[in-house]
Amino acid sequence: MTDAELAAQVDLALRDVPDPETGINIVDMGLVCAIVADAATQSVTLTVTFTTPACPAGAAILAGIERRLKRVAGIESVDLQLSFEPPWTPERISEAGRTELGWEPPESKADAWRMPGTR
Amino acid sequence: MRAQSLATQYAPSLRLVAAHFALGIVGFVAFSFALFFRAAFVHGHFFQPQILGLVHLCVLGWLLPITLGALHQLIPVVFEAKVRSERAPWIALALYVVGASGFVAQLWSFSFGDGFVGSAALLVLALYLYLGNLAATLWHGAARTLTGACVIAAFLYLSVAAGLGFALALHLHAPYLSIDHLRLLRVHAHVAGFGFFGLLIMGVSYRLLEMFLIAYVKREDAGWFALAAVNVSLAALVGYHLLAPSSRLLTVSVIAAVLGIGAFLVQVSRIYRARMRKRTDLPWRHTAASFSYLVVAAVIAVIMASMRLDSAVEERLQLAYGFVALPGFIGSVIVGQLHKILPFLVWFHRYSHYVGLREVPAASELLAVSPQRVQWFLMHGGIAVVALGLLLGQGALRTCGAGLLLASSLLFARNMWTVYRSHP
Repeated sequence: MTDAELAAQVDLALRDVPDPETGINIVDMGLVCAIVADAATQSVTLTVTFTTPACPAGAAILAGIERRLKRVAGIESVDLQLSFEPPWTPERISEAGRTELGWEPPESKADAWRMPGTR
Repeated sequence: MRAQSLATQYAPSLRLVAAHFALGIVGFVAFSFALFFRAAFVHGHFFQPQILGLVHLCVLGWLLPITLGALHQLIPVVFEAKVRSERAPWIALALYVVGASGFVAQLWSFSFGDGFVGSAALLVLALYLYLGNLAATLWHGAARTLTGACVIAAFLYLSVAAGLGFALALHLHAPYLSIDHLRLLRVHAHVAGFGFFGLLIMGVSYRLLEMFLIAYVKREDAGWFALAAVNVSLAALVGYHLLAPSSRLLTVSVIAAVLGIGAFLVQVSRIYRARMRKRTDLPWRHTAASFSYLVVAAVIAVIMASMRLDSAVEERLQLAYGFVALPGFIGSVIVGQLHKILPFLVWFHRYSHYVGLREVPAASELLAVSPQRVQWFLMHGGIAVVALGLLLGQGALRTCGAGLLLASSLLFARNMWTVYRSHP
């Protein structure tokens, strides 16, 4: 397995970890900043953020990430880094996440996704 | 990993918070029940046993226990500090239950004997124990924010309101005040309702609405202005009632209150417009209804302060003002936010351990939407009809509205029980 393949597996597994308030998984919410996978040492370093440093669900999300990644074949160790620099912004939410949150999709390719109330 | 910096580790046990919520829910049902059976008699001047009993059943039985429970959960998040003692609020809760139930029962029958004073003393002792513990928590907190400033100011007002309440209880037991006790009662009511509940709701709303609507608003000038205006309004009101009954002071108080409420709504609208979650849910609609009651209460206050009214009309307006402010503004926001807070707490304590192991529902999925929707219509239909019955002096309307409110309280209790009982 290559590093990229392991990273892809991690990305897929993290989609099982939801943000409890929205129900949207943490990848689509843009909470996963970086995945560094080393297939040779079977280790993963994950940098995550929260929508706010005082996120009341933060500890539950971190614990959920560790539990989920321990179940991925080919991973022996997980190093979780929490970062608020740069702070999370709505631009990090994926198209799937934006759809679930009720954002208005672009009417043409030239348009951008619109946050509610910004028309 | 910096998980240690997260506020959740400071949260108290679910049992402590849930016990306060349970008491408040029972209080909501008890208040609605009592209102339903006595609604026909709720008219005339507010200083009469059953009206004062109903008001204190509403505040001490329903609004305050849920607020105190929520504060023990929210203070650690807002101030990033562990609750100073978890034993103190349990002791305070025991004192509170005995004191509040005795106080309301004796107020209901205007029995101002030793038992009345004893109950009032237990109640005030309980409140100061809560406040002391929470103040010690704030003292060690790291965050100094708009929400924090509002919460600190609200605590100061609660301590004043409790002291004034005890002073009034002593006066009713053995008259000693040289000032008009009705004026002191008005100050007590506004310091508690607008100073404590009002500022607390304002401050906590800025944080909770951002959290639940997923919105980030950096500009807080309107929120700070609202805080200052409410303080000016209350200072002028205290001056008007206790120092110099000048109509100028009353005008200043009302204008400052209107400006403060307006600024608060500007800050809330900024949050609402910046929200990332477009689809609003029923808890938000309770909150929106609550803020509209606040506007109605402000309009009634302006009418009462600016117009010469027939005493019968003024009495009806005063009752409607109190009802729209207490069960309307404060009760609605509490019911709305509890629909968010309790599911989250239950999710956190019972479901979060399964994240990553198996599929878990979102916190909002712990309660179906349809019973929430029915409860919303019953509650706000009930509040609107009772308020109309108070304004028009129609006993049948008041009873009809109180029936809707009673049904809503029972459904609310059932909904919260469903959430609390849910397990993975």
